Amino acid sequence: MRRRVAPYLLLGPGAAWLLLFFVVPLYYLAELSLNSGVFGSYEFSWHWENYSDALQLYDTQFVRSFVYAGLATLFALLLAYPLAYTIAFKAGRWRNVFLFAVVAPFFTTYLIRTLAWETILSDQSPVVSVLDFLGLAPEGHVLATGGAVIAGLTYNFLPFMVLPIYASLERIDERLIEAGKDLYASAAQTFWRVTLPLSAPGVVAGTLLTFIPASGDYVNAQFLGSASNQMIGNVIQSLYLKQSDYPAAAALSFVLMAAILVLVLVYIRFAGSEALMGEEAV
Amino acid sequence: MLNSKKDQRRSPAVLAVLIAIVALALGVAACGGGSSINGGDTESEEVKLEGKPSGDLTISNWPLYIDEETVPDFENEIGVNVAYKEDVNANEEFFAKMDPLLKQGESGGRSLFVVTDWMAAKMHELGYLQNFDKSALPNFEKNLVANLQEPEYDPNREFSAPWQSGMTGIIVRKDLAPDVKSICDLFDPKYKGKVEMLNELRDTVPLVMKCLGIDPTNAGEEDWLKAIDKIESAANSGQIRRFTGNDYGADLTSGNAVAVIGWSGDAVQLQADNPNIEWRMPTEGCILWSDNMVIPVGAPNPTAAEAFMNYVYDPENQAQIEAEVNYVSPVEGAKQVLLKEEPEIAKNQLIFPSKSFTKNCTIQPSPTGEEEQNLNRAFNAVLNG
Repeated sequence: MRRRVAPYLLLGPGAAWLLLFFVVPLYYLAELSLNSGVFGSYEFSWHWENYSDALQLYDTQFVRSFVYAGLATLFALLLAYPLAYTIAFKAGRWRNVFLFAVVAPFFTTYLIRTLAWETILSDQSPVVSVLDFLGLAPEGHVLATGGAVIAGLTYNFLPFMVLPIYASLERIDERLIEAGKDLYASAAQTFWRVTLPLSAPGVVAGTLLTFIPASGDYVNAQFLGSASNQMIGNVIQSLYLKQSDYPAAAALSFVLMAAILVLVLVYIRFAGSEALMGEEAV
Repeated sequence: MLNSKKDQRRSPAVLAVLIAIVALALGVAACGGGSSINGGDTESEEVKLEGKPSGDLTISNWPLYIDEETVPDFENEIGVNVAYKEDVNANEEFFAKMDPLLKQGESGGRSLFVVTDWMAAKMHELGYLQNFDKSALPNFEKNLVANLQEPEYDPNREFSAPWQSGMTGIIVRKDLAPDVKSICDLFDPKYKGKVEMLNELRDTVPLVMKCLGIDPTNAGEEDWLKAIDKIESAANSGQIRRFTGNDYGADLTSGNAVAVIGWSGDAVQLQADNPNIEWRMPTEGCILWSDNMVIPVGAPNPTAAEAFMNYVYDPENQAQIEAEVNYVSPVEGAKQVLLKEEPEIAKNQLIFPSKSFTKNCTIQPSPTGEEEQNLNRAFNAVLNG
């Protein structure tokens, strides 16, 4: 008897929370997305055109969001993997210090961290002079370009990439790597055939944790981008708070959710669900 | 995965519970949607006053828009307990928050809040505001400056009382953009990538209309769209670095931007902090706007709300606010008070502009209804590239 009740009791608080703060708002959002009319007098009317409008009017920003988020995820992965690898295998007694350093930025708010990039990439900053010298700032400035937005996204979501990869690397049984060496595999071969596959769950989790929030982000584009670098999150924000076009904003939010869901499903299918679930699922 | 069989057996029950709860939520929502909406009645009710002001008063205003002594002084003098909230950050955002309440005839405990002209007009149109009982507002009747007495949306000032006014024009770095004097100069390729404009439809677009020689007051949808087109090509060419809220201040200070469309009150502050920053009255003129005190439907204690309005329309009390916030004062006589106390503020054209200073300026125009929706869409398409 107790065995049957306990799981529900444990599920209860989480489920109630999700129901109240996710399912119910989602329902209202769905209703709102089918409203029509003008600001001040929106009415529910099964207005599906909101959805086709959302796709037609904002396809540019959709594509841009996924390109920016994809690039940010790629750069974050390239930065995070060696970092996580070093922390897991080479850091020795410095391991906790490094881990703390990865998490430390979270002690300041997201907004402040993004605004710091505004200072770092300011037109007169040494960083920009160097980039300009190297020919990496063709417009003469770095702020207010797509590059700045991608850099901001990469930076802000980097810890979400580092931590899962670290967790999966750290769990690897070192005897497996030793076994690889015993079987005359070179260091590179051991890495490709033992370490990397075993850390795949961390890579998949990290890319998802980076890509999903990055594609919906609007803070980086707002502060680091120009008008031609705005992402779909900015469009939704301006539909809500500037244009007061709530139905269009709601419809666009649903389209974004669906698009991310589809992309993620395709990705998981491609990357293999075993990798996501870890070896237990195999 | 091993447990999948058991999960499958149980999930229909869980699903059923979920569906039941969602259905319940639907039912509740349906009830909520069915209640009456008192929108559209243009004949607003007048507030009902009750004797001497007392009790509690909740005010919502924009951040940093008052002297910190004003509220305590008012509490002591009148004997009202004030909760002063700085929770109006943008008209649209505040409306989004208040709309569901006001629709039900409630104000969320607020007796008074401050919104810009066009928003006051819109709220009035929706029947969300009450008319004043002017018998308790002698200072307002006497001291409201002449040029704000008959705005188009409230010709008798029945439901809106200006809190502060302001001008939208150009702010420049005079060391980096010495020759920017007009809105048209902002399109000079010399300043490519160093110009910023406000992300506000009603500030930026009318100013650009002026550059095109269109009078914003009588502009139709076509005229607005013409100006939006001009802004769009400047955004696409990289002439306009980005569209901002009042964060243009940081970009001017760092030199990322050298000429921006901005607000007069910010200019006073920025000039004080950095002598290289300067307000330029555009040769085409500026946009004049006001933020207004209004009393919403369902406001508790309107007696105290009117007492507060009357209080800030006393020139002495207004001078105290004015010395702090640096926008344009709507109160006659505040200048005379400040001439004695803080002559620098009293002589500042951005705080007490003379008639000749604002001679080409236009009262902020605002499109409505379907036109507003179309223009919003067109303008925001530019903002979001």
